[in-house]
Amino acid sequence: MIVLGRLSLTLALILALASIVFLALGMRGDRKDLLRNGYYAVYGFFLATVIASAVLLQAFLTGDFGFAYVAENSDSTLPAFYRVAGFWAGQQGSFLFWLLLVAIVAVVIAALDLTRVERLTAGAVMVICVVGAVFTALMVLDKGSNPFIAAEAGTQPFGLNPLLLHPGMVLHPPALFIGYVGLTVPFAFGISTLLLGRADKEWVRRSQKWAVAGWLFLTLGIGLGAWWAYVVLSFGGYWAWDPVENTSLVPWLTATALLHAFTLYKARGLFKRWALGLAAATFFLTILATWTTRTGLISSVHAFGRNDLLVLILSSLLVLTAVASAGLMAWRWRRFESHDEVESLLSRDFLYYLTNLLLTLFAAAVAIGTVAVPLLFERTVGASTYDVIAQPLGVVTLLLIAVCPLLAWRKTEGAPLRRTLILPAVTAALSVPLWLAMGFQSSIWGVLGLVVCGFAFGAVLQFVLRSARRAAGPGRSLWAGLGRAFTGSRTRTAAFVIHMGMVLVVAGLLGSALYKTESSALVSTKAGGEGSDLVTDDGSYTLKYTGMRSEPGSQSSQRTYAAFDVLHDQARVGTVEPHTDIYPVSGAAVRAVILGGWGHDLFVVADEPFDESSDSIALRVVTFPLIRFVWLGSILLCVGAVVSLWPRGRTQEQEARVTVPAPGAETDRATA
Amino acid sequence: MNKKSRTRLLVATGVIVVVFVIAVVFLVQRQGAYYRQVADLTTGQYDGKNVKVGGRVVDGTIARDDDGVSFVIQDLTGKDATVEVTYDGQMPGTFEPGVDVVVIGQYASAAGVLTADELQTKCPSKYEGQASPAAQPGQ
Repeated sequence: MIVLGRLSLTLALILALASIVFLALGMRGDRKDLLRNGYYAVYGFFLATVIASAVLLQAFLTGDFGFAYVAENSDSTLPAFYRVAGFWAGQQGSFLFWLLLVAIVAVVIAALDLTRVERLTAGAVMVICVVGAVFTALMVLDKGSNPFIAAEAGTQPFGLNPLLLHPGMVLHPPALFIGYVGLTVPFAFGISTLLLGRADKEWVRRSQKWAVAGWLFLTLGIGLGAWWAYVVLSFGGYWAWDPVENTSLVPWLTATALLHAFTLYKARGLFKRWALGLAAATFFLTILATWTTRTGLISSVHAFGRNDLLVLILSSLLVLTAVASAGLMAWRWRRFESHDEVESLLSRDFLYYLTNLLLTLFAAAVAIGTVAVPLLFERTVGASTYDVIAQPLGVVTLLLIAVCPLLAWRKTEGAPLRRTLILPAVTAALSVPLWLAMGFQSSIWGVLGLVVCGFAFGAVLQFVLRSARRAAGPGRSLWAGLGRAFTGSRTRTAAFVIHMGMVLVVAGLLGSALYKTESSALVSTKAGGEGSDLVTDDGSYTLKYTGMRSEPGSQSSQRTYAAFDVLHDQARVGTVEPHTDIYPVSGAAVRAVILGGWGHDLFVVADEPFDESSDSIALRVVTFPLIRFVWLGSILLCVGAVVSLWPRGRTQEQEARVTVPAPGAETDRATA
Repeated sequence: MNKKSRTRLLVATGVIVVVFVIAVVFLVQRQGAYYRQVADLTTGQYDGKNVKVGGRVVDGTIARDDDGVSFVIQDLTGKDATVEVTYDGQMPGTFEPGVDVVVIGQYASAAGVLTADELQTKCPSKYEGQASPAAQPGQ
């Protein structure tokens, strides 16, 4: 079977190269027969990739430890769900998984264009095939990246790292990869339209859904990773500004900017160069994420697993992307001039621009801090530095998100603007006592940020209400309009939901980062002994030790629970059982437990492994205020993206046509 | 093209970019930790500076009291150098003797102690290549 896997990989490489040649020649001579042959080669490339993937999947399902990669990432005791996860648990398999996704995207785009065979689409398929070919070449040439290598005789199955045995972690990598591959499509169409010199909006129209889908999965992937880190990794947080996390956040930021640039490109012919640049930057950054993770040049202190061929191939792809995009953009620069211009600094156009600028700067700062500073200056940027950059930027961006949809295109008049801002101002004012009552007082900056969240909450409501009022028209009830506001333009409905999601996420991030409290103590486990409880520093919680128990856990581990009664203001609110898993081979891991709530989570963990013979437990209790809003908001972000992708009926399609009112028209309606 | 609005846009962009770049450069200058090996600390060059150091936790050196934990880490580049680390924050779930950790903090060469603000064990995902011999059969 290993031979079959290798053969199909080699075949995939040949077919990917063949399709590139056909498509390139067809593009140049505008010959549909060649382009169609190119598409057929893509079909073959896809088939070969499917066969290779099926071989590996089969090996995981049947436990064929003759595959070195299977032996490294699986063992015979794992349930089927986690065996499948072994496919993408390591470097080799995740490259194959990525390749499979690339092939799927290429074949879907090619198949949809097989009857028309247009150069714009063919060019995009060609670019996707170049990416596919590079990944295939990497797997074929580099032993460390090839999943089809025979295990050495006598290799014992290594199993899956126990910390990865969690649904969040099983789904986190594929979600990220799907996101990355989805975001390859706007880049591919961008390159194609640059090659053809077509400055119309067709390339945006064809790649927008892919971009939204990519953004959706990237959001999901980042969210799942954070959730896993919070509940499983037990390091007391969901985000550590670690290079691997940062490099997934950076393309998310540029992709967010890209989606906004697309909206304005389509509606107003603005942001054309921004859209091209952001599409290219986003793709570049997805490859940079892989580069950072796989080459180990940044993330590990000592670069083990460093592999020169891998570094060479991935670096070449980065250079190729940068040079090709920059070169083509320079060549076509004049052609992609915006039709329109930003007239006033108090307009929706300008705020869109500002949002994109800030998102891009934030992305640049994180990317430079994560990759360039360590490589060039041998220094590293710590979590506290990122926090100092991210918190103000997050709050300012949220303010822009809040105000932007309330402004008119082109130019906003003062009086109607003041009227629209009444509701946000009221919710901002109402939020102040709420935050103070919840104990958020210490940081002026934090209170300010949370009040902005209150303001943004009202602004999103106002955005919905205003759309409803317009949809209802004169003399009809607001309720009827509300329904139409939500079922009208998908993009606008998505904006309601996603903007509300962002309000919740930012509030949750501020609350849990700035107002978390931490208490720790050595708790005695002797029966009736002194010091067998922990009182939090603010005195609000008491944890009383009640006993220990052990039971066998997964992968022949032993799990020891230490039980504590939790008292909040003297009333018993529950029991928590932080525990330690002791594994026969890979050591011990402490596991946190979380007592969740809307106000805050109580996060309880031991600072070091314990078992039933321990005299004391180094207990740590952390409260994370508002953290649930991070999860709830993240879900809204994904829901919003799904709404935007939902296919719509014909009537809605017509209703949703974006019409750009003449200057002043919008402000008139805002006063109605 | 309206020249005035264009200039205004460029000026606004310029101001934002310049302020942002200055803020970031300032922060990195002030807070960026030097990425060094344990053996480099003994040269005295990094006294009182922010450093980020990787090392292996030496078995039997972990001591804990109510103020936190202290332990000794061993150089990872094969040199025979160690340094004592004190830390009072949240412990990573996988901390134990023998694991590779990354600490970020201030080094005081007089006491020979690194006071850590951040402590990370190497990420448990295999994406960074585990040190286990079984995990690297092809190499």
